[in-house]
Amino acid sequence: MSLSPRDPLVLARVVGDVVDPFMRLISLRVNYGQRQVTNGLDLRTSQVLNKPTVEIGGDDLRNFYTLVMVDPDVPSPSNPHLREYLHWLVTDIPATTGTAFGNELVHYENPCPTSGIHRVALVLFWQLGRQTVYAPEWRQRFNTREFAENYNLGLPVAAVFFNCQRENGCGGRRT
Amino acid sequence: MATATPTDSMHRVWSMSSLKSSLPSAVTCRLPSPSSRRPVLISSPSPRLPSFSGLSPVNPLISTGLPGWQSFEDGFKIIDGGGRVYAMRHGRRVPKLNRPPDQRKALLRGLTTQLLKHGRIKTTRARASAMRKFVDKMITLAKDGSLHKRRQALGFIYEKQIVHALFAEVPDRYGERNGGYTRIIRTLPRRGDNAPMAYIELV
Repeated sequence: MSLSPRDPLVLARVVGDVVDPFMRLISLRVNYGQRQVTNGLDLRTSQVLNKPTVEIGGDDLRNFYTLVMVDPDVPSPSNPHLREYLHWLVTDIPATTGTAFGNELVHYENPCPTSGIHRVALVLFWQLGRQTVYAPEWRQRFNTREFAENYNLGLPVAAVFFNCQRENGCGGRRT
Repeated sequence: MATATPTDSMHRVWSMSSLKSSLPSAVTCRLPSPSSRRPVLISSPSPRLPSFSGLSPVNPLISTGLPGWQSFEDGFKIIDGGGRVYAMRHGRRVPKLNRPPDQRKALLRGLTTQLLKHGRIKTTRARASAMRKFVDKMITLAKDGSLHKRRQALGFIYEKQIVHALFAEVPDRYGERNGGYTRIIRTLPRRGDNAPMAYIELV
């Protein structure tokens, strides 16, 4: 089903800033500990320290998927000049399984925003075949659209995002 | 009409004909005294040139053709710009935010400072929608960019680094956009008091 204009991904502009409008084809469930990540969930840095458990749907084990976790609001939402920091990249995930069965090309780095509230998006792509996707050289200035273009991943098949902010308060007033 | 008293030094050769022609007929005119802010008394026998003080006294001696001169109060027509006072809240659009005016202003200043600093903040829906006007105003000041506007922004925003950063980056970021520099996304209510919350972010 294509995204309605009131879909949380569209409202939070994840669809504008990170990916293009797509259709949801596969179910994607992300759990940080006991907490299931719904779109727009508020998490603190302490709650996202360890990598989440991700389960994807689909039916055929011969289909492989790539999961990308990016933060488009680095270093601060008001000034995102390092747009899109790559936190996690897992490829060759067979359908109906999870990231434990995939190939972790870029290991998980917990989001640690210093300023403001950052959106962190997990985007799932369908791969054409195994071992067709490679890791980029740097984590920052990652561009999800270009990445999908380079490795022929096309439009995403699923996405979810959450909001992450620093542990206590906003950092106080500096002169 | 603003007071038409010319300064003595400049208009010695000012002729009376222009004044006489603008006044109603059958009036012996005299120039008003320099302190024209004094309210003009109805009881004076000779009619004077009326000056603006919010009340325009209609002199019964001048035949302007207005009917209905019954009493003293009828002589004063209040010119006030059309403000009406209702007993109910009809038509009042300023959000009070449950605070006295000084605290309200301080709250809005603080919230706009934080939004401009962080880019996205989470607050209650009423505060988020009350803030929009002030954030847009700050960004408009930054778009103008002159020193006067910068000083006006410094008088509103609490941290001067933010003002300087704003004036530096707003022209490229919001150059083409006309207004609507914020976006509000409603979210789940707060747990402690079930207050409806919202994210407000700079577009």
